[in-house]
Amino acid sequence: MILEFSVGHWSKSAPPETFQKIGKKWEWAGWWSSLVPFVITAYYVIVMAWCFAYIIYAIDLRWGANAEHFFLTTFLGVTEGPMTIGGISIPALLALIIMWVLIFIILYKGVSRIGKVVVITVPLACILFVLLAIRGLTLPGAVDGVSYYLTPDFSRLVDVNVWLAAYAQVFFSLSLAQGIMISYASYLKKKSDISNNAFITALADSGISFLAGFAVFSIVGYLALMQGVGIESLGISGPALTFITYPTAISLFPVAPILFGILFYIALFTFGLDSAFSMVEPITAGIHHKWKISKEKTTGFVCIAGFLTSLIFVTGSGLHWLEIVDHFISDFGLVLIGLVECLIIGWAFQISKFRLHANDVSDVRIGRWWDILIKFVVPAILIFILIMSVYNLIVTPSNYPWWALLLGGVAPCGIIFLLSFVFMKLKGKTEAKNG
Amino acid sequence: MGDGLSLSAIIMLIFGATICYGGLAYFLYRAMKGRKK
Repeated sequence: MILEFSVGHWSKSAPPETFQKIGKKWEWAGWWSSLVPFVITAYYVIVMAWCFAYIIYAIDLRWGANAEHFFLTTFLGVTEGPMTIGGISIPALLALIIMWVLIFIILYKGVSRIGKVVVITVPLACILFVLLAIRGLTLPGAVDGVSYYLTPDFSRLVDVNVWLAAYAQVFFSLSLAQGIMISYASYLKKKSDISNNAFITALADSGISFLAGFAVFSIVGYLALMQGVGIESLGISGPALTFITYPTAISLFPVAPILFGILFYIALFTFGLDSAFSMVEPITAGIHHKWKISKEKTTGFVCIAGFLTSLIFVTGSGLHWLEIVDHFISDFGLVLIGLVECLIIGWAFQISKFRLHANDVSDVRIGRWWDILIKFVVPAILIFILIMSVYNLIVTPSNYPWWALLLGGVAPCGIIFLLSFVFMKLKGKTEAKNG
Repeated sequence: MGDGLSLSAIIMLIFGATICYGGLAYFLYRAMKGRKK
């Protein structure tokens, strides 16, 4: 976080131009870290679209007694595998269009509008999660859910996949290795405190996640008690938690289930919206700066491209493709970009320059240990995790056929990587101004 | 079921809350102090 803040603050540019300033031949790394979040947005937006649809469905608890059947069959029409495309979910498609229009409206005017939106959406979502946590913790069975959430299982520390998932989660949650923090930091004022801002951002993010855990697991505990089953038997991860387990629990609320259903999906939707436009910003800023195309046109072009890419996820096979793409892009892609960032900035550039740059404006000074972390420790850990994860991917049988993993996982990663070089080689308008 | 939080869960609760919210409060305090200067 400190590294990305320093780099963005130092360059005052979008990620591609930032890496070009570090060394002309490294521009591709900036494009790479901007294209990956764009692909993430393509499937992330569909989850937001589901949340948006569920805000409306919560008005009459449309999922009824069988939330699983409603989500998988009635709402999405999920097929048996990625090979069978199936039909298009019209409610999901309409919600998807609304999402991309919203992202366009927020982004096309530039960073000032982003600030105005975030000032409303972030506190709103935090307040809603506090309300949901209070409601959840006052339900019977909540203690069991919270106990399940907080009780550590130290034996899992030797599982390398847990570490990969943890690293990927941290990268994803803090928007690292996606060009986002570099883009946002480029808008910081000259005297903005880098280290302190980085600590506040990381701790606020962790604090909200920690709180959200109580809102979710207290209600999962309640559901387990009501159904007389163990928490492990309930879907407590991914879309199943949000769109099957949680709605089932909400339907069983003794008081105001509709209100809490609406509040939950509004909270998710507002947080999701903040993340979605932040993930579109790096590629938009990169194209805008390199080719001097107006922000409106660039944003419009990127949103249309994003919408077209998202279309596969509103089909019956969308949920299968989402799982595959997400596994490869978020678990491998982000960790790989994080590694490349550390190697380029640590070895092809003088890392101490960024430390001194951060220290110049920061209240909390960082020492030489930070250089060692970026140059040696973090890359070593990431390389080890990546090697072990690739090994596990090969030896562990997947739920999906090899060609689906190739098409939905390896191919997008490869295409993004190649596109980064294409974008670098394309001639830009060299008179482009910084920032 | 219904036995309350285990000791390790209570420790993790205190640890998580102290790090997240204590740390956040500390750095927000430093930021505000720096702004006043």
